[in-house]
Amino acid sequence: MRRIGILCLVLMVVGAFGAFANGQQEVEGLVEFDLWTQADEATNELPYLESLVEEYMEENDLVSIDVADMGTEDLREDFQTASIAGEAPELLWTVNDHAGPFTLARIIQPIDDIWEPIGDNLVEPEVLDDQVYGIPITSGNHLMLMYNKQYMDEPPQDTDEFKQMAQDIADEHGVHGFSYNATEPFWLVPWLGGFGGEVFAADGVTPTLDTPEMVQTLEFLYEIQHEWDFMPAEPDADTTDSLFQEGEVAMIISGDWAIGSYEDELGDDFGVARIPRVSETGEWPQPYTSGKYWMVANHVEGETREIIEDFIHWSLTEERQLELTQTVGALPAHVDVLDHPEITEDPILAGSASQLEVGTPMPSVPQMRANWDAMRVEMNLVLADDKDPAQAAADMQQGAEAAIEDMDIDDQL
Amino acid sequence: MERFTLGFVISSLEEAGSIILGIVLVVVLLQVIAYVVLHHGLKARLALPLTLLVPAAVGLAVLTGYPLLYNVWLAFTNMSLQHISPHVDPDFGVGQFIANIRRVFTRPVLHSEHFFPVFGRTVAYTALQVTFHVSIGLFLAMCLNRRMKLRGIYRTLILIPWAIPQIVAVLTWRTEFHFQYGFVNILLRNFGHSGFFWLSDRMTNWIAFNLVNIWLGVPFMSVILLGGLQSIDPNYYEAAEIDGATWRQRFRNITLPMIRPVLTPAAILGWIWTFNMFNVPYFINARNFESSDILVTALFRAAFEYNRYGFAAAFSIVVFVILLIFTVFYVKISGLELTKKASQKMK
Amino acid sequence: MSSSHQVISHGSPLSPPTRRELIARHGFFNWFFRTARGDAPYQRVLIHLVLIAACVITVYPLTRILSVSLRPGDALLSTTMEVIPENATFAAYYNVIVQREFLIWIWNSIIVALSGSFIGVAIAATGAYAFSRWDFPLKVPALIFLLCTQMIPAPMMVVPIYIIAANLGILNSWIGIIVAYSVQSTPFSIWILKGYYDTVPYELEQQAMVDGSSHLGAFYRIILPLSTPALAIAFLFNFTQAWNDWVLARVMLTNDLYYTWPLGVNRLQGQFTTLWSEFYAASFMISIPVLALFLASSRFLISGLTLGSVKD
Repeated sequence: MRRIGILCLVLMVVGAFGAFANGQQEVEGLVEFDLWTQADEATNELPYLESLVEEYMEENDLVSIDVADMGTEDLREDFQTASIAGEAPELLWTVNDHAGPFTLARIIQPIDDIWEPIGDNLVEPEVLDDQVYGIPITSGNHLMLMYNKQYMDEPPQDTDEFKQMAQDIADEHGVHGFSYNATEPFWLVPWLGGFGGEVFAADGVTPTLDTPEMVQTLEFLYEIQHEWDFMPAEPDADTTDSLFQEGEVAMIISGDWAIGSYEDELGDDFGVARIPRVSETGEWPQPYTSGKYWMVANHVEGETREIIEDFIHWSLTEERQLELTQTVGALPAHVDVLDHPEITEDPILAGSASQLEVGTPMPSVPQMRANWDAMRVEMNLVLADDKDPAQAAADMQQGAEAAIEDMDIDDQL
Repeated sequence: MERFTLGFVISSLEEAGSIILGIVLVVVLLQVIAYVVLHHGLKARLALPLTLLVPAAVGLAVLTGYPLLYNVWLAFTNMSLQHISPHVDPDFGVGQFIANIRRVFTRPVLHSEHFFPVFGRTVAYTALQVTFHVSIGLFLAMCLNRRMKLRGIYRTLILIPWAIPQIVAVLTWRTEFHFQYGFVNILLRNFGHSGFFWLSDRMTNWIAFNLVNIWLGVPFMSVILLGGLQSIDPNYYEAAEIDGATWRQRFRNITLPMIRPVLTPAAILGWIWTFNMFNVPYFINARNFESSDILVTALFRAAFEYNRYGFAAAFSIVVFVILLIFTVFYVKISGLELTKKASQKMK
Repeated sequence: MSSSHQVISHGSPLSPPTRRELIARHGFFNWFFRTARGDAPYQRVLIHLVLIAACVITVYPLTRILSVSLRPGDALLSTTMEVIPENATFAAYYNVIVQREFLIWIWNSIIVALSGSFIGVAIAATGAYAFSRWDFPLKVPALIFLLCTQMIPAPMMVVPIYIIAANLGILNSWIGIIVAYSVQSTPFSIWILKGYYDTVPYELEQQAMVDGSSHLGAFYRIILPLSTPALAIAFLFNFTQAWNDWVLARVMLTNDLYYTWPLGVNRLQGQFTTLWSEFYAASFMISIPVLALFLASSRFLISGLTLGSVKD
């Protein structure tokens, strides 16, 4: 024990002198930049990105890319903090809703010229003020109906059938018929779309939450929670996920990020379909769709920018996009790959793609955050039987308006 | 594991070693300079104590002094998302400061609640928590403060909440409070109660978050107080026992006064930490009920989720001033002897 | 439960009576409830019961963490209550250690937390001594200022600290994080140590100084050894603060070779998905070094010296 201690001490002292003696070697002409990502370790997305970067650096000796990964919210906060300090990373791989605040803060730059040469191959970019700010890497990140084939052969087509089916399964098998993450308004918006509502007016920034459609949506969520008897109490992400993996619930609503682990867990019993039509309106629910996008920091210019342009183009070829889909399971941004048999013949990916068709792009304006928070609070109060839907919708609108007012967004800047 | 190699271990030891050595050298150098200047240069009477304080003072000036000033500066600006970029400087001025402060008191903190209800709840929660932490902590410490079997084991096990990463502990508790599958309700059902909606009901959610915070706060307090109890000479108790003092008299006349030098700072720090506790209220309240928010979680949301930096800085200054007033007040009434002894004994 | 500790032979001819003798002399009831000196046996039983209950409450979540970490799949919640799940597997542990850089995270955390707390406690130990033994101008305001530093909500420190670190060029190196950790808990350590030094009588140092020791010599030879419990508490506190820190580490370290465990483990949590079993396996393993440290330090938490030497 003591010997180890002495050894450590000696190493430290030696190192101390070594560290002072040895300066950093510079490689002539080396272009270095930082890439921040919120890619998930859980979905293989991060390992994929890391291997992508490795490969690019092997092909280009004079490029060195440093990848740092962090949580979604952390990336937003830290990118803002780093921009205040003037130390922001050059390139981002992140979700589309970050484009809104970053554009408003003027910490990312328009990249129309990078988009132009490859635009025809890809799905829509992230456009704000008529300029391209984000180039798509994946599309999707959307909610869909997932079901366990042990309990049903065909998924329900509309909400009336859905409720009856869920109840029958619950009665017959003693499991829950349905569960979803009832704490997050991300799970409310598909239904709102199905009832014909939208969170913003046509201008894209004025909240429209106090509407009959919102009241109907809240009533619907309340009904399946309290008036039927097929849902678990206090359903949230963890409950839903655990129950589905253990085969204790027949249907859930979850996102494409979970597909991989459910395929592993349930095997052939796992099915994916569109969220059933709302019987009252006959419309499909419209989950928000987004995806991962490349964004370039404001200060990037010159040679670094050229390298980044090359890297982005290089990363979005058909072959790499296909590889991305195969490793990560997310739908690609490349339109040709979307029609690839790899996707159309895979029932799960095809189901996910079919849901994507009726999805609606998630607003990326910063005002959306005020909407999310207002919806989250009131939705939870309704589900806790603490407030009636009409009152909740009114309070949502008021909360969102107040928050937006306090955000001090100045159109003049 | 690929990258965890002997080379990595050695190089990190080298880096850490050189840093420690460097810091020690800098600290010693600072102290020598300070001593020479103070003692031989200025012939200061207090050269030695001031020298001893130099390293802490320098470190704190950089790492807390500057951030404090930065926040004061922020409070005088309208810093927001649109002023982050180096090209757009925020407006600076007393007017901004007044506007920020006025907002703290006149606008809802988040959605509907204003400053004072949230503040009142935060104070109530803090008072409740510190009372529980100190009383349960002292009770456990007194139980442990004796020669007994298994003492080492108890002491270690009681510290477990402090050893588990806080966020993990809180997430674990959140699942244990689930209506259907959580242990708490399962236990209640064994006693014939149907259980509570700990997560989705506003009132019980507040209770759940308090319970978790007690679980988290008691161990630390009990160890600090055990340290205090250890410093009491057992002869006092023996003498009191021979004089026929009751249990209560011994507690009142020996234990409490003797551990006060340790108890008071611990209680003040406990108060401040509880007031600023973030993880428990933030994570137990997954449904974002305003009724379970305390000032610091509300502040966090204001600063980072809405990017109202200037407002948040003003908010934190208001919180800061309140805590400061409380602390000064508490130091006064608790009769904490900050100076008396030293002046009596040391020259 | 017994008082057998007290039976340790002191080499004195009058060794205390054994338990059996006492029961025989007073009868069981009187012995159990009315022993006059020290704790009556029934009190000891009660105390043990209380402590066992407390331990059950504190340990319980750890068993849940263990349980989740052993589950196949990534379910956080379980519909069953058993600690060792069906099909328990160590796969998550294997994945965390072999496929991820868990050992790097832990190693970095150990280095950073140990270095930070050694330096931090050293700085605080001398600083607190100055506060305890001398009066100097602005002493009370300085003490209160120390407390104030704890009052700034942590999230508000992030931006300014990042700016300093960026300007000093110490992002992604250990110098920044170690210095930050040393200073972070200094106010707490100074308060606790000052409180403890205050309970140590001045006569002890004065005696030593009369015997020819310098003031600092008296501090190192008399005060420090007497204060081991407080030093141990301060060290433990510094260590756990640095060990669990996420706010500072997040902004100062982005290179994954420098990752401490909170940053590494955070990777396992995605926006909507979390690798729960790996997350909990890592958490369980992370708790172990801290517990070991607590165990190892427990003999320092008990001051043997004060009890004997501080008789006036």
